[in-house]
Amino acid sequence: MTASKTAFDPASAAARGLAHCHFCAQVQPVAHAHCARCHAALHLRKPHSLQRTLALTLGAMLLYLPANLLPVLNVESSVKGNQQNTILSGVIQFWQDGDYPVALIIFTASIVIPIAKIISILILCRAAQTGRRPSAMTRLHRITDFVGRWSMVDVFVVAILVGVVQLGTVMTVTPGGGAFAFAAVVILTMLAAHSFDPRLIWDAAARRLNTASHRNRPDGAA
Amino acid sequence: MDSAPILPSPTLACHDCDALYTAPAVAEGEKIICARCGARLFARWPNALQRATALVCASAWFFVLANIFPFLSLQAEYRESGMVLGGTVSGLEEHGFPLLGALVGVFMLGAPTLIIGGLLYVLVPLFHHRRLPGAGRLYRAILEARRWNMVEVYLLGVLVSLLKLGKLATLSLGTSFWAFVGLIVCLTAALSAIDHRELWSKMEGASR
Repeated sequence: MTASKTAFDPASAAARGLAHCHFCAQVQPVAHAHCARCHAALHLRKPHSLQRTLALTLGAMLLYLPANLLPVLNVESSVKGNQQNTILSGVIQFWQDGDYPVALIIFTASIVIPIAKIISILILCRAAQTGRRPSAMTRLHRITDFVGRWSMVDVFVVAILVGVVQLGTVMTVTPGGGAFAFAAVVILTMLAAHSFDPRLIWDAAARRLNTASHRNRPDGAA
Repeated sequence: MDSAPILPSPTLACHDCDALYTAPAVAEGEKIICARCGARLFARWPNALQRATALVCASAWFFVLANIFPFLSLQAEYRESGMVLGGTVSGLEEHGFPLLGALVGVFMLGAPTLIIGGLLYVLVPLFHHRRLPGAGRLYRAILEARRWNMVEVYLLGVLVSLLKLGKLATLSLGTSFWAFVGLIVCLTAALSAIDHRELWSKMEGASR
């Protein structure tokens, strides 16, 4: 290995110029540019990972406001009159009707998970710079990546209700703008979690260890 | 297709922390976990590709059934309205949200169609040691499509809708609903059965 100031974790494949193919897991020199087996483009790390992740998260944070303020569902009923439901009012209604499990499912999927995802992506971006607790942070990324899709459940509920509840004057359900904004939030957070490269955390952890060991040596020799 | 021994590629890198390993020989039924970060690197199941192909065929059959039979119907005050699976998409389109309808369509119909159709195109010819044109590129598209395949999330959405409407109207589940449950079980099992390394090495060995 060269003595150049490489930014990669010395235990990693990248430190030896080897790239792991994202699609077929073949390890090969990054100088090849394309995977010999499946022809996918090779990178040592996902390109512009942090910039992309932060931009997508920022977009999700902005859209989170209309997603929660605009109605997701309009119910026109001859008995109950017209009703506009936001995500939160839907949860409250389930709770008041005594449907606690459903209220909890929707609350978790539509409110807890999106907020937790945005916060954990921000924590991960910070960890990619500090390199603290790489193992726990990698696990956090794995969970964030896995759990995101389940937030889409509220959008599907709206789509199903709109599709099935078409009883003319008795009861008709139409979608609201909040549903679109919420779907966009879920898609943006999924893309953000996917753009984040957890290997950056290990690179930062190795740099951190390196500077710490330099500091402990009195003569400062490397 | 005999389970020919898979030559381990000389090196292995963790996709989550990039730790470099010399690839060990892996017996059927074993899985390899990164010693540093705990990521599952790969698993080898007995007869993985046969099992995956059988499950994909079953998924395809369930998917066809789910799309032709009625999915849900609703009765309230002597009125009735019904919905087929595609009604989830067309309902949104008719009420002024064509883009949202298209997105929902991708998540619950488009992605599973690409995955099922694509896997049949890639897997079945491998049993005759052949590889059809574009199979490698198609398999990469399938891997990307997996995260956008939300059939199981959609099922949770159906259950929540049932509970939401249960008090206002009578809902009945159609044949399509049960076919959709079958689709979820088979497709999830098929995707977890596929051994990517075995698949790629079979593709490399197959004649075009």
